[in-house]
Amino acid sequence: MTLRVDIAHAYPGLALEVAFDAPPGVTALFGPSGAGKTTVAHAVAGLLRPDRGLVRLGDTVLTDTARRLHVPPHRRRIGCVFQDARLFPHRTVRGNLAYGQRRADAAAFDRIVALLDLAPLLPRGIAGLSGGEAARVAIGRALLSDPRLLVMDEPLASLDASRRMEILPCLERLRDEAGTPILYVSHAVDEVARLATTLVMIDRGRVRRAGPAEALFADPALMPLFGPRGGALIAGTVAGHHPDGLTEVRAAGGTLWLPALAAAPGAAIRLRIPAQDVILARTRPEGLSALNVLAATVTGVLADDAGVTVALAAGGPTILARITARSAAALALTPGTACFAILKSVALAQGGPD
Amino acid sequence: MRAPIRAIAAVCAALVLGGLRPVMAEPVRVFAAASLRTALDVVAADWTAAGNPSVSLTYAGSAALARQIIEGAPADVFLTASPEWMDAVEAAALLVPGTRRDLLGNTLVLVGQGAEGPAVTLDPSLDLAALLGDGRLAMGMVDSVPAGVYGREALSALGLWDEAEPRVAQAADVRAALALVAAGEVPYGIAYLSDARAAREAGEAVHVAATFPPGTYGPVTYPVALVRDTAGARAFLDTLASPGAAAVFAAQGFLMRP
Amino acid sequence: MSAPFLSPAEWQAVALSLRVATVATLASLPLGLAVAWVLARRRFPGHALLNGLVHLPLILPPVVTGYLLLLTFGRRGAVGEWLDGFGIVFAFRWTGAALAAAVMAFPLMVRAIRLSLEAVDPRLEQAAGTLGASPVRVFLTVTLPLILPGILAGAILAFAKAMGEFGATITFVASIPGETQTLPSAIYALLQVPGAEGRVARLVWIAVGLSMVALILSEALSRAVTRRVRGRR
Repeated sequence: MTLRVDIAHAYPGLALEVAFDAPPGVTALFGPSGAGKTTVAHAVAGLLRPDRGLVRLGDTVLTDTARRLHVPPHRRRIGCVFQDARLFPHRTVRGNLAYGQRRADAAAFDRIVALLDLAPLLPRGIAGLSGGEAARVAIGRALLSDPRLLVMDEPLASLDASRRMEILPCLERLRDEAGTPILYVSHAVDEVARLATTLVMIDRGRVRRAGPAEALFADPALMPLFGPRGGALIAGTVAGHHPDGLTEVRAAGGTLWLPALAAAPGAAIRLRIPAQDVILARTRPEGLSALNVLAATVTGVLADDAGVTVALAAGGPTILARITARSAAALALTPGTACFAILKSVALAQGGPD
Repeated sequence: MRAPIRAIAAVCAALVLGGLRPVMAEPVRVFAAASLRTALDVVAADWTAAGNPSVSLTYAGSAALARQIIEGAPADVFLTASPEWMDAVEAAALLVPGTRRDLLGNTLVLVGQGAEGPAVTLDPSLDLAALLGDGRLAMGMVDSVPAGVYGREALSALGLWDEAEPRVAQAADVRAALALVAAGEVPYGIAYLSDARAAREAGEAVHVAATFPPGTYGPVTYPVALVRDTAGARAFLDTLASPGAAAVFAAQGFLMRP
Repeated sequence: MSAPFLSPAEWQAVALSLRVATVATLASLPLGLAVAWVLARRRFPGHALLNGLVHLPLILPPVVTGYLLLLTFGRRGAVGEWLDGFGIVFAFRWTGAALAAAVMAFPLMVRAIRLSLEAVDPRLEQAAGTLGASPVRVFLTVTLPLILPGILAGAILAFAKAMGEFGATITFVASIPGETQTLPSAIYALLQVPGAEGRVARLVWIAVGLSMVALILSEALSRAVTRRVRGRR
């Protein structure tokens, strides 16, 4: 079921005009604060009537200003998770979770509780919940309302790094097991890199690029938008775990080593390679601490104010490297040049299964 | 009722200032029952116009006035509709001895709705239920307001009280009872003749349907006394009993007591 | 044998006051809630006028309010005459005393409820909507439970005011033992009689006692409800 969004809305200070399609999976609305992402999310959820536009989910038209049609939020069957959990203080966790259930469905209830690990929290009031617990309850509550689409507006923004790490696996499981399409609004590259199937990049009220996440992350022209955490995503298979704490991953360009992953041997995973952690060499280096050395060919070199982004083909998938202009000149990197990409194991971050 | 703080402050101020201003320039402070308002306003205005000091008139219920005087309110003359409350003030030794006298009387009447209406015969054979229909009889409070007390007395003397008691609507005071009659909310009410006249003069739609036979109640007495012995107060007290004042009171429906 | 603490007429006044105040409070809760909601959540031409109208009984002398009630709901009153056709009578009946008490207490009730409505986070209601709850369901399952402490506070305040209401009551429905002679009317009547201070004192103690009980109960109830509403169990 595809979500079609084509809206325009004016605020003081921002004129929004976006159009995109969100196929099944996680579609991430990515961009800096103030870009208009939340406006789009609210329009999809029905909390905002855009000045002009169309919102259509599958065959159902939710908003059509031309026909003066606007389905109110409570009839859209779109679940929302907000940055502040917005849990009902007068109900327990169980009461909150069950709020949106049309019929008492114990099977669905138990399934979501297991998915989000909420069982110990059920009888509690919401006052004592930690940020991460509240976020999980909010997600569970939205899921239990059996939505056709889940809109998540920076659900992890108010959590600290460790809490976020705690929840991201839940969200990945959501993407892969719950079957509900997700519109995920965020300005955090890590989250988007890990979760997104499709990426819609919004800046100053306009769509800069929209497309499959892997392709956009590998595009050197978009590197400045991702900032320092940008980098390519590559697919691999877990070959095995080693007793000295490393996991071996087989990727198209070779074998990669990274710190132990919580994934079973044989599982397909997505790895993120931060561009600024990629070192380039014209010759294969010896005696380095880095374990990952991939043979690659330069496919593109893009310079900007802050440095140079080099796109490399490493036996199939593209890897991006971020180096200084001086180094680029010194190494004489041009498209077609053969070189080696060196990746520190600890720099590799896990993406989820794709 | 406890007197307001400012009454005590006023007394202190009066004591302090009393020695500073010439006595004759001070107004005479009169505390009087509310039912006397219309008549007393005229008497006082006439007196002041004749070259006497001005009169400061305070009208309220007899109970409220008496309690205020007992708590020290600055009154020179007390004119009340209730001999019981005058007794209370006298018992508190606040009256100037020898100045108390019965000044006025009044007549109890049955007042009906509308500017005109049929006369009613007030005797034991009166069918009160038929007279009132499904309405009520408005009176002042039958335990405390003088007109209410006398009203109950008169109805009892006529053997009508048992029939009347469940139909009585007790208003805060006689003016309120008359207001109920004038508004058409009750068909009849019991009041003094002076109240009925004052209401008609004010344009309210009431008429006197009957006069209670003398002897069934009363006598209605309005005692007056001095609370402070000043030349101005004594002079005003004398004027109250003068023929000129008597004419004003009589025109309003009061009786003069010799 | 010692004299009874209160005469039968006085006990009657106490019982009547309780009945009148209870009925006045309960009957005006729905309207009070509705008016508070409209004032808190809607902007429209006439908003200030409605607000002023609601607060009028606070500002007008009670006797004036009573007189206006008489003109409107009395036997000859514009509305009273019409209601008489349905068998609803306020004039000189305890229902009239309840109406007078309700009108005088209404502004206090509306203020308290409005304050608690304005304190509800509208984002919670928004979230409930996205979970599929219609506006009515949102009100019943989210807004109402959250404003319950405010409603309780408004009801208790209104009850206390209704117990003490005098000026409008006696002007509208006079003082009729058993029907409209409430506790304050009984106290007023006694105050007109010299030497009745002892009986007045006893009635005043009862009035104070009843109010204290109401206040203490409401405090306990309010704390319990607030705890639940804040999510602490």
